[in-house]
This record gives sequence, C-alpha cells and structure tokens, in this order.
Amino acid sequence: MTVEEKQRQTARPQKPSDEGKPAVIAPGATFHGITSQITSIVLRKSVPPFWVWAFACGIAALFMFVGAVGYLLAAGVGLFGINIPVAWGFAITNFVWWIGIGHAGTLISAILLLLNQSWRNSINRFAEAMTIFAVACAGMFPLLHLGRPWLFFWLLPYPNTFVIQPQFRSPLVWDVFAVSTYATVSLLFWYLGMIPDFASIRDRAVSRVSYWTYGILSFGWRGASRHWRLHETASVLLAGLATPLVLSVHTVVSFDFTIAILPGWHSTIFPPYFVAGAIFSGFAMVLVLAIPIRSAYGLKNLITERHLDNCAKLMLATGLVLAYTYAIEPFTSWYSGNTYEMYVVHARAVGPYAWSYWAVIMMNVIVPQLLWWKSNRTHTVRLFLISMDVLIGMWLERYMIIVGSLNRDFLPSSWERFVATAVDNAILYGSVGLFVVLFFLFLRTLPMISMYEVRELLPFSRPGGGTVK
Amino acid sequence: MSEPRPYGIAAEFDDADQLVTAARAAREAGYRRMEAYSPYPIKELDEVIHYWNLLPTVVFLAGVLGGFTAFYMQYFIAAIVFPTNIGGRPLNSWPSFIVITFELTVLFAASAAFFGMLFFAGFPALYHPMFRVPTFRRASDDGFFLCIEARDGHFHPDRTARFLQDLEPVNVWEIDE
Repeated sequence: MTVEEKQRQTARPQKPSDEGKPAVIAPGATFHGITSQITSIVLRKSVPPFWVWAFACGIAALFMFVGAVGYLLAAGVGLFGINIPVAWGFAITNFVWWIGIGHAGTLISAILLLLNQSWRNSINRFAEAMTIFAVACAGMFPLLHLGRPWLFFWLLPYPNTFVIQPQFRSPLVWDVFAVSTYATVSLLFWYLGMIPDFASIRDRAVSRVSYWTYGILSFGWRGASRHWRLHETASVLLAGLATPLVLSVHTVVSFDFTIAILPGWHSTIFPPYFVAGAIFSGFAMVLVLAIPIRSAYGLKNLITERHLDNCAKLMLATGLVLAYTYAIEPFTSWYSGNTYEMYVVHARAVGPYAWSYWAVIMMNVIVPQLLWWKSNRTHTVRLFLISMDVLIGMWLERYMIIVGSLNRDFLPSSWERFVATAVDNAILYGSVGLFVVLFFLFLRTLPMISMYEVRELLPFSRPGGGTVK
Repeated sequence: MSEPRPYGIAAEFDDADQLVTAARAAREAGYRRMEAYSPYPIKELDEVIHYWNLLPTVVFLAGVLGGFTAFYMQYFIAAIVFPTNIGGRPLNSWPSFIVITFELTVLFAASAAFFGMLFFAGFPALYHPMFRVPTFRRASDDGFFLCIEARDGHFHPDRTARFLQDLEPVNVWEIDE
C-alpha cells in the first residue's frame, strides 16, 4: 500500500460535532495532492481565461487611475467636487472604505488563529493579501487629498529646518501612524506565513529562474523543527499584536470624525460602529474574491461550502452590530436634546442626500437578513450578489457619514451641496482596478493558499493519527 | 583537496508518526545533536528536540522600547522642542499621546518578531548540508527526515547508521559538510 492510499484510508471527519456539516477540507486529500495543486497554480506556464479577463479589466481601470491621478497632480485638488463645507469628498470616503475592507483579512488571519478556528487555514493567505492591497489602495487617498502629495513627509516627525513638527494632539497625525503600522505589520505577517510555502514552490520549480526566485524568497527554509518552533512563536505573537492593532486602526479612523465637533460625527459610538462596518465589508470582499476563484482554479476541495457558510455568518453577525448602531444613532441624537444633532438625523432621512441614507438601510440592513437562510449562505451566486450589495452599501455608508454630515453644519448660510466630478469617479473605479491588478498578480506568482496550514488540517497529520482541533 | 567531513546521517520517513517515534528512540539512545525536518510543524517534536526559545523575550523588550520611544518622542516634540498651545491643552497632554505610543509599541514588537525569527533561525541560509539529501525536496511536501549530526558525542558512522536503519525508514543517507 502506498503512502497516499494509506492517507486516504485514514481520512475521516475531524470532530464528532462536525458530522453532518460540509467538511473543511474535502475528503481524500493527501499531502502531496495539496502541494502539487497549489504549487502548480504558480509554476504552470498558462493561466485560466478567468485570470486573463479579470487582469485585462484591472489593467484598463488602472490606466484610468493613473491618468486621473496624473491630471490631479498636475492641476490640483480643484478637480475634485469638494468645496467648503464639504472638504472631504470621495477621497476620504474611498480611504475609509478600502481600509475597512482590509480588516476582515486580519480578523481571519490573526483573531481566528488565536481562537483556534482552524477552518480559516485555507482562506487566510488570500484574505491577508486582500488586506495588504486594500491598505495600499486606502493609503493613497489621504495622500492624493493632501493637495501637494509630494510633501507627504511633512506628516512625519523628522529633524527639519522649518523648526516645525507634527501636532500630536491631532487624530490626523494618529492616523498616519496607525495606517503605516497596520500596513507594515500586515505585510510582515503575510510574508512570515509564506516562507515555508516558498520553500515548497522552490522544491518543485522546473526552471532555473523560479528555483532561484523562490529559493531566495524562502530564505533557505528547510522545515527544521527548531525553525517551525520559531515560526509558530512569531506567528502567534504577530497574531496577538495584530488583534488589538486591527481594532485600533479603524478606531483611529473614526477618531478623525469623532474628535471634530461636527453634528453627526461627534459621537462616542463611532469606534465600535466603524470596526463592525469594516469587518462587515471585509467579509463581503473575501466572499466576492473567494467565490469566483474557487471555481476558476478548481479549489472547491480546499475552499469548501463550510468556508462560505462561516464567512456569511460572520458577515451577518457584524451586519447586525451595524444595524444596531444605525438604530441607536437617532436615539442618542434625540436623547442629547441638541438641536444640531437632531437636525442631522432629520436631514439624513429627508434632506438632499436622503437617497444615500435609504440605500444604506436597504443594502446594509435589509438585504443581509437573507443570510439567515442556509440556502442563501451556500448558494454561490446569491451569496456573491449579497456580498456585492454589502460592498456598495458600505461605500455609500461612508459617503452618507462624510458628505451627509458636512453639507449641512451649524449655519444655513454656509451650507453647500457636493457633486462628484469625473475625476472623483475615475479615481474611485481606478482604485478598484489597482486592487484587481495587484490581487491577480498575487494569484499568479504567490502561493494563494497556505499549504503548511492546510497539511495540518489533514486527519493523519498528527502522530498517532489523532484528530485535529 | 581534503576529505569531506561528515555532517550527519539522515533517515527519511513517510509520516509524522514514524518521525516522532524515531526522534524519541534517538533521544533515549542518548543522541542530543539532532534535527527533525517536516512539511508542517509537529508539536510533539518540541519535547524531544529541545530549543531554548528567546524570541518572546526579545519581542517583549522591543515592544517596551517602542512604547518608550514613541512617548518620549511626542513629549520631546510637543513639550520641549516645539511647544505650542493647542486649545489650551497642557504641553504634556499625555492622553493624546497614547494612540501613537500604542502603535509604535506594536510596530517595534512586530518587527522584532519577524526579524528576530529570521535571526534566531539563521536566515537567510541559502545553503545547508541537508540540501544534499537527494530526496530532501519531500521535506516541503510529504517527507519527514531525522538527521543525527556528526558533532553529537555519541555519533559513530556505522553504529548511528545501523541505529537509524533499525527504525525502518524509507532511506538512510550519509551527508557530508
């Protein structure tokens, strides 16, 4: 009997409580099968048509982005639809939206690791990649919004001849540190996880170029038990550090709003409201990416219905937290007795941007209730559509918070409407193109599923054939 | 050219069970300088192959350093170098400094975890004698290796090879430096 036959025979449900549920990993998987399945995606010469079409669309949108940004750098932020009082238009909306999307990746990779949720092992890699690219897209918007982005380094404390330094009591400066720390820590965590998988690709490489490339990327990983011990320690420590970090990042983003005295922004519920919304939209993005990829790459044995179901449940749970904050906001403004606060709630529902408010209620509260039905959580087309709905709804929510609050502040004489320009739209859709291009380059060149963590999920991976938690 | 010195003798196994059993047997036989290679972490090996893990201490110290650096940087700038009255707040308005103190604590600790892991593991190390084992590419796929190194006091080219052979591995390989 060969090893693979022996492994197939010992494959069985992992926990008694899991019987009746779809398996985390489809039965019949072997170590070698997983290694060749994942490495061949990177090492084979051809790409699936899905990849070519998506990448081509991404490149087209990226050209639009580069063109619009070039125009913006040459002509200035007057090209945006912003004015006074609506000084934060699409740029900040896009920033908050993108950085929120990234949060689900960290939740999957760090928080679920600490909670010992091993089903995450086959989706954490591309969820982390999603985080990195979403943060890369997010990070550009405040810089473009600066007006003179080439002077971005004025945000950092460095010895200079102006005798002037950042003002550390400002949440905008906190944001610089929070987002750059988040980007760095996410990148380190992502790379750390890929080191053993780079070694697997190196050992399967057929060409000299890929052998050397992945060999150098793997730092010469050889799977020694001491190295695994260090690797596990570093992973758990990074997860433990990333967990409070991810909660802090969107909290700091919400401080950008709450520390201002503007009605509609100056509220203590904002930090949990923003974090819940971030994770909600992030899981929507995870599903929007996972559903087509698992079909196009034939990964349904590793990204199973169980994963879709679990992500959908998490989306539903965070969506309910969000619905609660939508419900409590009118209450707190009424209870405050503050005229301006009460007026903002009124204006949101019937004012010039009432369409965005009702769209948000529809898309973020009512439609996600479909996820209570298991048939919707496991039906890929319906789940994909619900996730797209949530992504758009969450963008509109930030638009509602930013434009809906800024356009009517204290004095009616200073009220002004915001109308998005072509450059605003080109940069928003172009940033999606940038994300798609980065993500599809990742799918082509890096191991999209964490091989060593999936091996740990197989029932025969433990000495004595013990079960995996 | 001088005779190549032996690095050790490696045995190749097909599953984690055999590897852990073999490592335990080797430890009982008195071998200490050995290393196991596997395609995924095996916790049971930690009891057999001891390793004094300094990484958590280093990460903790880096975090403390990051926190102090961040707070002092903000205090130094806001209260000493560039004192500015912002809304009548005190120059050392420490509650406002907490966010960046936290962020840099995490940044320093996380960098220490990543680079410390590389440092303690001796990476980058693009060459290692184990790569001479003809089937070593299985170690990143479905192969499990135990190598008893020549620097071990009990090491003997023939006796160690026979010892490993008795553990019923798929193969036994002698490796030069």
